[in-house]
Amino acid sequence: MEEQLKIDFEKKLKDFSYSDQEKKFKETNFKEFLKQGFPNRKLESWKFSDLNQIIKSNIGELTFYNDYKKENQIDKIQLISDLEHNKLIVIDGKIEKIDFKFEEKDKIEVLVEQGEETIKENINSLINLNNAFSNKFCKIIIKKNYSLKKPLVIYHSTNKNTQSKNTNSRIDFKLEENACLRLIDIFKDNTEKNFLNIYYNFELDKSSILKNYKIDKSINNNVKYSYNNVKQEANSISETFILSSGSKFFKNEINCNLQGQHSSAFVNGIFDLDDENHHEIKSNINHLVENTKSYQLVKSVLEKKSKAVYQGKIFVSSEAQKTDGYQLSNAILLSENSEFNAKPELEIYADDVKCSHGSSSGSLDENSIFYLMSRGLNYKEAKKLLINGFLLDVIEKITDEEIKNLIKNLLGVKE
Amino acid sequence: MLKINNLSAKIDNKSILQDFKLEINPGEVHAIMGPNGSGKSTLSNILSGKKGYDVTGEVLFENSDLFSLETEERAHKGIFLAFQYPLEIPGVNTNVFLKTSLNAIKKARGEKELDAIQFLKLVKEKAKELKFDEEKLGRQLNVGFSGGEKKKNEILQMSILNPKLSILDETDSGLDIDALKTVADGVNALRKKNNSFLIITHYQRLLEYIKPDFVHVLMNGKIIKSGGPDLALELEKKGYENIN
Repeated sequence: MEEQLKIDFEKKLKDFSYSDQEKKFKETNFKEFLKQGFPNRKLESWKFSDLNQIIKSNIGELTFYNDYKKENQIDKIQLISDLEHNKLIVIDGKIEKIDFKFEEKDKIEVLVEQGEETIKENINSLINLNNAFSNKFCKIIIKKNYSLKKPLVIYHSTNKNTQSKNTNSRIDFKLEENACLRLIDIFKDNTEKNFLNIYYNFELDKSSILKNYKIDKSINNNVKYSYNNVKQEANSISETFILSSGSKFFKNEINCNLQGQHSSAFVNGIFDLDDENHHEIKSNINHLVENTKSYQLVKSVLEKKSKAVYQGKIFVSSEAQKTDGYQLSNAILLSENSEFNAKPELEIYADDVKCSHGSSSGSLDENSIFYLMSRGLNYKEAKKLLINGFLLDVIEKITDEEIKNLIKNLLGVKE
Repeated sequence: MLKINNLSAKIDNKSILQDFKLEINPGEVHAIMGPNGSGKSTLSNILSGKKGYDVTGEVLFENSDLFSLETEERAHKGIFLAFQYPLEIPGVNTNVFLKTSLNAIKKARGEKELDAIQFLKLVKEKAKELKFDEEKLGRQLNVGFSGGEKKKNEILQMSILNPKLSILDETDSGLDIDALKTVADGVNALRKKNNSFLIITHYQRLLEYIKPDFVHVLMNGKIIKSGGPDLALELEKKGYENIN
């Protein structure tokens, strides 16, 4: 792999004329990745998901170079039709199109950036990989007091020849004071056996609201990693909802710094897994000042040999009195071979806080199945009704009605 | 309608029912009374198709072999069990459940399914008859319902599904006197020439309101005595120990 990485990185540097500073940034990140490689189980936060092994067994040898000079075809991507939306299309890691057609033009600014690391802690080798190989990334600024009229949908896709490739994309967002953004991530997996590495940075100024819904529903053989880094000022709210289902492997990591008073973070998710799919949600919610709140609810429905991992961490610094932190995970195992791993972590240095966590897993209740079948439903219908019921309370956590309905339709939840 | 011949049932090699015999004709109401552990609930579970029992013998429902039918097929044919302990199903709206159930049965019978408006009209009417709080129909099935409400909900389901054979498994337990009367009214409203009932109970109390045609005493997995409604009174006086 090291040879391939070096060849591909050389190619990458020749593509554009980078300034010395940009070149240095990419080289530093590249060296760091070379040193560390893909995360493996020896790292505590990767102990349930050995990415190095997962890439080896599902993809084999990866290549890292993507030609960003050529135009990619975007007309083949099927867009969501039942929801009006702004769109941003990413193909092989390159932003191919940005279209805010529903919005006031002077309320949104899009900057093309070249490289500056904003996060210092919790950095992992995949962020280095991303910084080394990603294209010029963009920064989207939502101006003060502006709420987008329609959601922004980011489509993640690949070219038809892209296979056994690593693609990297990075987007930064800044929500100025009192701004509001609804952001939906949708995956259009046209090709197989790629490793998608996605990195978002969010700066939430005072009283701004971010809602990010990540929808991985269609079945595919890709391996994905997504990292959300969120910085929150006073009274800001971040809501993240992850529907984790279709990919071979998907790890979603949410790092959230609550650094302004009365800011709050919500991380909710569903693992709906089949076959040998292996998915993870890892959260780090850092309560850094007084009066902040976090809430996390993750529900899993696991078929066959699937595996779900939820590592939820709540960190409360010594200054962060009156913190309210909560996390809960429940799993239904539908097969003897399915697996649910939960590792709640609470690290608390303040004394006046309210923090709790809980986790449960079990099989579908046979008595409930019998009850429903005695009313004329067959086994499949009874099972479906019970699972929908089980998932309903986490779906109800979605605060955006339009998107809630979209997700209900995707899951076949009727009311 | 229902013929049970030499039914024996075991669970984990423990014998629960032995050579059990019973015949129920259309329009009849049978009561089975017995102490705890006599096999009453096992009987109702087996009739509605619960798994986990080793059974021998024969059960015919309208001349078809009940054991060859899955639980839901028995419901389609018109067997209904009112549960002793109705289950709470979180996240499942009561109305949605009722409609799904009714339409599953209608579909299996080749009848036209009800649309939302027709269904709501029916359910409102039945809920009113049973003095069932309509607001509860919009809630999650049995979640947060009191014991009495859960039992009433069973009777509501029964009256909506309009089964041929209704098995009431200790529906009276946990009911106050008003609820008991409402439940009995619901059952009596369904009593017709072709609808039969099997009422399983500890006490004679419910039978004051639902007059049975036959009363059977079940002890140690066997019917030890059968008779008319008077037998229930006799039992109440003498207790199970002294009857035979």
